[in-house]
Amino acid sequence: MKRIAGALAAVALATLPLWLTSPYHVHVAIMAGIFTILALSLNLLLGYTGQLSLGHAGFFGIGAYTSALLTLKLEWPVWPALAAAAALAGLAGWAIGRLALKVRGAYFVLVTISFAGVISLVSVNWMELTNGPLGLPGVPAPELGGLSFRTKIAYYYLVLAAAAGSYLVCHRLVHSRLGRAFLALRENESLAESVGVDPTRTLVLAAVVSAAMAGGAGALYAHYTRFVSPEVFLFSYTVTMVIMVVAGGKGTLAGPVVGAVLFTVLPEALREAMAWQWQMLAYGVVLILLVFFLPRGIVPALSAWRR
Amino acid sequence: MLKRWWWTLPVALVVGALVAPAGFAQSPIKIGVIEPLSGPVAASGNYVRMGAEIARDWINAKGGVNGRKVELVIEDNKSDPKEAASAAEKLIVRDKVPAIMGAWGSSMTLAAMPKLEEYGVPMVVETSSAGSVTKRGNPWIFRIAPPSDMEALGLEQYVDKLGAKKVDFLAVNTDWGRGAVQAFGDMLKKKGVEIGAAEFMDQSATDMNAQITKIKGTGGDTLFLTTAVEQITLVLKQAQEQRLTRKVITTGGSSSPTQLIKQAGAAAEGSYHIVFFMPWFPEAMPDGKLAKAFVDEWAKRGHPFEGLTEGFRGHDGIATIAEAVKIAGKDEAKAIQQALWKVSFTGVNGPIKFEKDGPAGKESGQSKPSIFVVQIRDGKVALPDFIAKK
Amino acid sequence: MNGLVLGGTYALLGIGLTLIFGLMSLVNFAHGEFYTLGAYATFAALTLGGLGFFPALVVAIGLGALAGAACERVLLRPLRGESIDTTMLVMIGLWIALQNGELLAWGGVAKSIPHPFPTAPLTLGPVGIAPLRLFVVVTALALIAASWLLIQRTRLGRAMRATFQDRETAALMGVPIDRVHTVTFAFGSALAAAAGALLGPIFLAYPSMGDLASAKAFCVVILGGLGNLAGATVGGLVLGIAEELGAGYVSSGYRDAVGFVIIILVLLFRPSGLFARAERIG
Repeated sequence: MKRIAGALAAVALATLPLWLTSPYHVHVAIMAGIFTILALSLNLLLGYTGQLSLGHAGFFGIGAYTSALLTLKLEWPVWPALAAAAALAGLAGWAIGRLALKVRGAYFVLVTISFAGVISLVSVNWMELTNGPLGLPGVPAPELGGLSFRTKIAYYYLVLAAAAGSYLVCHRLVHSRLGRAFLALRENESLAESVGVDPTRTLVLAAVVSAAMAGGAGALYAHYTRFVSPEVFLFSYTVTMVIMVVAGGKGTLAGPVVGAVLFTVLPEALREAMAWQWQMLAYGVVLILLVFFLPRGIVPALSAWRR
Repeated sequence: MLKRWWWTLPVALVVGALVAPAGFAQSPIKIGVIEPLSGPVAASGNYVRMGAEIARDWINAKGGVNGRKVELVIEDNKSDPKEAASAAEKLIVRDKVPAIMGAWGSSMTLAAMPKLEEYGVPMVVETSSAGSVTKRGNPWIFRIAPPSDMEALGLEQYVDKLGAKKVDFLAVNTDWGRGAVQAFGDMLKKKGVEIGAAEFMDQSATDMNAQITKIKGTGGDTLFLTTAVEQITLVLKQAQEQRLTRKVITTGGSSSPTQLIKQAGAAAEGSYHIVFFMPWFPEAMPDGKLAKAFVDEWAKRGHPFEGLTEGFRGHDGIATIAEAVKIAGKDEAKAIQQALWKVSFTGVNGPIKFEKDGPAGKESGQSKPSIFVVQIRDGKVALPDFIAKK
Repeated sequence: MNGLVLGGTYALLGIGLTLIFGLMSLVNFAHGEFYTLGAYATFAALTLGGLGFFPALVVAIGLGALAGAACERVLLRPLRGESIDTTMLVMIGLWIALQNGELLAWGGVAKSIPHPFPTAPLTLGPVGIAPLRLFVVVTALALIAASWLLIQRTRLGRAMRATFQDRETAALMGVPIDRVHTVTFAFGSALAAAAGALLGPIFLAYPSMGDLASAKAFCVVILGGLGNLAGATVGGLVLGIAEELGAGYVSSGYRDAVGFVIIILVLLFRPSGLFARAERIG
């Protein structure tokens, strides 16, 4: 059953531009793809190692700015810039990991929030580097040979590939020894330690991968919207990511994907469905209802239902 | 068991909304409006929307444009550039609007600009002040608001009369605030005025005492203040508490002096304000009758008086687009874009006519709006003392 | 001086949140919304209800408590057994719903809350302070003291502390756990509302005012240690004063960074917070 569903989904995704003809819908699909990568990355930390990082927008923003600055100011081609963006974000993840994972739980959360806050303030105030609030317009679109990814459909496939890649990475990671170490740490840290799992090293590794992914998503975002401003560090992005992961079902692989798609589509659907005054209020209410009736998330509820 | 079915409702809503047809036969002329209707600058965005609605109603009352009614499709950009871009895309693709007005903040406008080029739809920029908006070579942009350097030029003639010898700046840390400090700083330096401190405050900051203390220490005689009216209120009050006694002049046209008088009270006494609309003396505006009619209609709808200094932008934006549609003879995006170059009429602010701005071959349109200075004296808005003394 | 005004209110916010966070293990993202509620309630009581300034404050605080209690009964109690992320998500939803509800109800224009104090500053030695701010400091300190007394001296306070230490044992000893939860959340929310009611007249009331307040509250909780009242009080005051000093001597643009940097530093050198033991979520 699962295989067939998976295959169907894959076909649907691969042929999406054929049956979702409106470019606006493709735009929504692209944003959903980018957020899927973000949600998957956050899920690594939140769902699998049990650490709540509320600073993920920071990695997202670092990726976006790095790639934008490299391609704008140093005139790098896009692909190496993307890689560099992910790498730099991963480095930041390592730094935060080493710093923050000395503490756990609530304190880790706070450090991650502070990190995002500081980075945000730096991006706003360090005018020489980031152009501050004026932002960086005109970020170029990627090119491969002669093919430019400026068109929506091309970009959609790029994002689809990236999202699929991220999913695969997560999948491999989770089912590897490292993944089992993650789970062990999440369930019972002292017990895990006693069987030889090094918590700090493991968690830092998770942080690095998670951050690098988020940075990559940021770079993809930058080259799609072609405009980067300090708003990428908005806490609301982190909140959205958290919503996607938890409502989708943390600790599962499909959860963040479902969550990302649902919560990217929802605000746009609300835009259509009701006047601007009610959109966000409805969003909040939908969220509350969703959590109320499906406290574990959508994907776990679905699998429980099938049983 | 029953509980599990509830979640199909939001999913169904989502799927249904997406798949549902975008619209029926389009007889009315649709104009897209993108404004920050929620978030920290929700007040301003809503004022612009209210002005736009007045324009729409007036146009429709006179029979519409080319015999067809005007309909506004309003979207909230939630003060987020990503949302501004999404809103623009939705308006263009789903609602098929041939023209848009927006998006208030410069970063919102800049974020939406690539979409305009992608689909070939013109946008009338009613508020954004960053110079880059018209300098980026986007031929679909037409701005009726003054960029910061134009504003600074408008003030130039009064600098001597103000008697400013050493000026400090306090601005909100956004593209607007920084742009203003740059533009006014350059203009003042050319006139031989000394620049003291340039302090910034976060958009949502409520405590500016530290900056005020620093400014107090420079020995300047005039303070240029650029931010939205809520922060101006706080700055004036805190400056009064710290006994800062120098001339204050606010820039950007968002200072809403009436609201200042109400909320800052005595702290606002004596302050000067650059505005683009003088609802206290509408007869003094280039088209006095139109201005007065606008003020009266605004009051009739029960909108707060203090919103007029921003609401007129909404009116002029929609009026401009309507005028272009009239000239073009049809509501088609490319035709409207070309017609915008031919537009020449007088809005609430004054004459609107676009000149070329930006790199050759891809110029944007920039109009030259009228700029005024008023002062708060005896708890009322009046013409500044250096003008009235004549 | 200003640092005290801010610090006092940060402390109020912090105490409320540390109780909720510490006792109920609830990442309360809606805390800032109760702050906003307090400010708007004061505004409503003054302008619509025609009450005097001080009664309006009391009403605002009362409303905060009621809203908190309602929230706990309706939203949180049914989710009691769920993971902390689930409850956090519900609070996020509440935050979004409340803030946009306020936007809908009051519009985006900031409201100025009238107050009966004269605006001319009083001079205390070399420092000038507006009478309103003095009132805020005094009231904030009074409320903080009252909270301490409540927690340390009364039966209710003992019940709260018992539930915090060890829930099962407390239940076995006959402590009404459900009631304690409701009261704690109501109390924390009431304090947040008080902070909003006090700061509202100084600044302005607008729908997104709670966001920054929430952020500061979380900082304070960390500084002082989860569930640690004394820590939250000191933390709040320290943050307020540090922010003022930081903005004055360092760059004003980075002013909000002060809070963040402090947290990072504290956690680097004293990982368990200034006062308490390390806690683990989940």
